[in-house]
Amino acid sequence: MEKHDGFMKALKCRECGREYPLTATHVCEYDFGPLEVAYDYDRIKKSLTRAAIESRPKTMWRYRELLPVAKDPTVGVQVGYTPLIKADRLAKRLGIRELWIKNDAVNYPTLSFKDRVVSVALSRARELGFETVACASTGNLANSVAANAASVGLKSYVFIPSDLEQGKILNSLVYGANVIAIKGHYDEVNRLCAEIAGKFGWAFVNVNMRPYYAEGSKSMAYEIAEQLGWRLPQHTIIPMASGSLLTKIHKGYQEFVKLGLVNESEVHVHGAQATGCSPISTAQKAGLDFFKPVKPDTIAKSLAIGTPADGFYALKVMRETAGASEDVTDDEIRDAIKLLAETEGIFAETAGGVTVGVAKKLIASGKIARDSSAVICVTGNGLKTLDAVQGHCGKPREIKPSLREFEALLSQEEKVGV
Amino acid sequence: MAKAPTIKKTKAKAKAAPTTGLSPNRQRLWLMYPPKLIKEPLIWKLGHKFNVVTNIRQASVTDEIGVVCLELDGKRDDVQAAVEWLEKTGVNVEPVEMSAIAG
Repeated sequence: MEKHDGFMKALKCRECGREYPLTATHVCEYDFGPLEVAYDYDRIKKSLTRAAIESRPKTMWRYRELLPVAKDPTVGVQVGYTPLIKADRLAKRLGIRELWIKNDAVNYPTLSFKDRVVSVALSRARELGFETVACASTGNLANSVAANAASVGLKSYVFIPSDLEQGKILNSLVYGANVIAIKGHYDEVNRLCAEIAGKFGWAFVNVNMRPYYAEGSKSMAYEIAEQLGWRLPQHTIIPMASGSLLTKIHKGYQEFVKLGLVNESEVHVHGAQATGCSPISTAQKAGLDFFKPVKPDTIAKSLAIGTPADGFYALKVMRETAGASEDVTDDEIRDAIKLLAETEGIFAETAGGVTVGVAKKLIASGKIARDSSAVICVTGNGLKTLDAVQGHCGKPREIKPSLREFEALLSQEEKVGV
Repeated sequence: MAKAPTIKKTKAKAKAAPTTGLSPNRQRLWLMYPPKLIKEPLIWKLGHKFNVVTNIRQASVTDEIGVVCLELDGKRDDVQAAVEWLEKTGVNVEPVEMSAIAG
């Protein structure tokens, strides 16, 4: 291995195992299988010990040997190490012995887990000499690319479907990104973005940079294991859009076992989707190893991917870990958002509602045992999807500026038991 | 995705992998056939109707779904027309990247 590649060895096809140089490329030229970063674990083992990790700053980069950059990161160096909250009040409501929330709703700088993958993709893009970065997104990814690119002076192009809500567009425009709205059906927009990625010499974070980008998700697994006191959780409930996050969290757990950083233990990885876009959970529940594409129709826009690129691999991971999958309706998503907010003081975006709602179902059905321990991954902040809960949380009660009126209101509420 | 393990792929000779991009008019696509189209020789028809070169790289066919990984090469308008015809016929067409639009 050459020194300038850090701890990476090559890009490797997940289908046929053929190896490729560590450039900006993402599919195998032979079978079009996705490429993944392969590491030199023997070297990593010598460098990455618990003591070494604990001595480093509390960011996702404390595990840098396991992240695909050749040198020190240059973008998003403060990302990650979000809180892992012991959620006793929610545990009681869901009827499980021990419950934790991994809270990426407060990730830096754009309040979603996407900052993890983007900081890796952009750091690697700079190493490879790119000056322009791009993505196609309906929300969180666009915000993160725009913000992280701005923070280091990279030029950014963000492609969005033209019918996206104003608030989401503003969250990218404010950083000075070039925001391009594409008219047309989702399929057409998707194909155009793939074409643009192939034609222009840009780092398209989730296309030609995808092998690096996707690896950033593993840091969520490392943090969970460390924050639990160097052990793996029995159950992890993860939202699924493309399915990539689920496969990478599992990979992260496996790597920690391989490196001897945690003991091997029984781990179940569960996937959560919205009923209005549930190709992976539907296939999992039917016992299939493939999914059928769907047209998304759900308030959980950040999970609305009808043809998930890593769906096949997510199904495989759930099968191998005896994990389960469920999906929840829009109403169940809203209820779960409120439940999490009221019990733990965490306001999650719709994807968080999906994960909490699915955890509730899996515990109720016995697929997650009541006497076990589980971690729920919350991947984005509720302030980003205010529209989804608007009109569903009640209204403030109005009074005149009079103490008597306030006391009257209180005594009336006490009577009706509010 | 239905990169089904049932298909035994022919291993090409291992050699240094190319790192260059595609020719501008070449598209790499996943085709997903619904059950009613599984018996139709659509790629043969495609090759006769449009001036495009078809190159199958992977395929998996079950009773439930047919999945073909196809490379299409030709003039941009011909490739576009071929894709539109496939969609009109009822085939789901996605770039190999699939979820190029993320959340």
